[in-house]
Amino acid sequence: MSVVLNSRESILTTFNHFREELDDFHDTRERLIKSSRDVTNLSKKVIFLIHRTLTETLGQSDEKETSLRAVSRAKGKLKEIQNLFAGMSEEIAGDRFWRYQKNVSPGLQEYIEALSFAYYLQCQTMISYEEVQKSLSDADGNPYFPLPLDDYLLGLSDLTGELMRYAISSISRRGGRSEANEVCKFVRGCRADFEALTPYFRELRKKQQVTSQSLEKIEDVAYAITVRSSEYDLPPELLDDIVERTVLEAGFGSGGDGRDRTREGGRRGGDNNRENGDYD
Amino acid sequence: MDAQNLDHINQLLDKDVELREKIKDQVTEFDKKTRTLTGLLNRIHSTPSSQVPELIATVTPVLESCKESTAALAALTPPNQFWRWKDMWSVSLRNAVFAAALVEFLRSGGLLSLPRAAETLGIKDEWRDRFALSAEDYLHALISMVNELSRLAVNSVTMGDFEQPLKISTFVKDLFAGFAMLNLKNDTLRRRYDSLKYDIKKIEEVVYDVSLRKLAPSQSNKM
Repeated sequence: MSVVLNSRESILTTFNHFREELDDFHDTRERLIKSSRDVTNLSKKVIFLIHRTLTETLGQSDEKETSLRAVSRAKGKLKEIQNLFAGMSEEIAGDRFWRYQKNVSPGLQEYIEALSFAYYLQCQTMISYEEVQKSLSDADGNPYFPLPLDDYLLGLSDLTGELMRYAISSISRRGGRSEANEVCKFVRGCRADFEALTPYFRELRKKQQVTSQSLEKIEDVAYAITVRSSEYDLPPELLDDIVERTVLEAGFGSGGDGRDRTREGGRRGGDNNRENGDYD
Repeated sequence: MDAQNLDHINQLLDKDVELREKIKDQVTEFDKKTRTLTGLLNRIHSTPSSQVPELIATVTPVLESCKESTAALAALTPPNQFWRWKDMWSVSLRNAVFAAALVEFLRSGGLLSLPRAAETLGIKDEWRDRFALSAEDYLHALISMVNELSRLAVNSVTMGDFEQPLKISTFVKDLFAGFAMLNLKNDTLRRRYDSLKYDIKKIEEVVYDVSLRKLAPSQSNKM
């Protein structure tokens, strides 16, 4: 090979090698894109599972217990995703990881979002870089691949959107208002932490806007709760009862914008007012 | 985020930022050399074939100096991170390979193989995971060379060299046959490959003009 190619045959032979090499690269790339897509799908399912678990036990048990139930369900699914990564690890071993990093990264970010959501519910803190890396390592602690800093941060940035949904659906749950306030504080902290890092990551800048919007939604709901609860001089538990009954009667599930819900709940009129009267 | 994690993130970040700066400095140096190379090689369009060896002699030391750049970049890149940083220098590297391949054609009329191109630029096999000449970069360089050769076909006729277009024509057709064997995806390589046919057309027109007027030596029957 290490010569000057003077004939058409020798040129064609060399290009034959290139074809094999390029085909090999494209095939691997396709496979990894598929795996990454599988990871994305499973991760989305984990996130839905968590939301579902948090809302289906509405009012039946205390907040902490519900969270932990969601976490333990999520963990089984997260394990499946980790196994997918383990399966990919061979194709992205050594120097190959950075060749395919762009193809792996969408799934990886979605996984980090799901993982950090479960982690938050369990520990009320942000999962650290090292812990994410540890979750992507084999039993002996050897990483499947090095965790890129930008994927870690971008995954976490998406978490704020899930927390917003969680906070807003918490409002209608027993003890959920203090929970919503906690989430609000946490997301505010996230936003501040990410802000310092935005100069280094272009994509983080875009996501930071979404984080700001999510934060604002949570803040608006927290505001509405404060204003409304100040109208009644009630202990929080009684207020829980009112909110819960109103929500149940109005037939609202989870999600959506908190402001709409309170407004529509109010419009339903009669029952609501009578209850208010009872307690006043 | 807790302070420890933020510290950790910032440390990783600082390391990357610093490395990026260092690589950028080396790439700037590398780029200067490849620009000198392209500048020198631009003279082929006005250099009669008899004086080409002298022109090549001026190019060789610059090509040799590229070895320092590749060595410096290989030293900077952390193990296994070749593909992470290679985009930063791939333009310069392609230009250097282009120069090396063009020089080889002018010297011997043959195609500089990938391993030979890597060798010319001092790229060592043991750097594989830190600095290498990828097939993609090599192929890009070859397309640049074809672009240049189509100009040379025209200009060599102007300089009274009627044989050169025929040599170029055979060589470029062989190369094109090689490229045609690849399954290219919709990327820049594919687009540049698609543009090769215009170069070939241009070369063919020159060959046609030259043969029609019986300016070319008749033994070249390879076309």
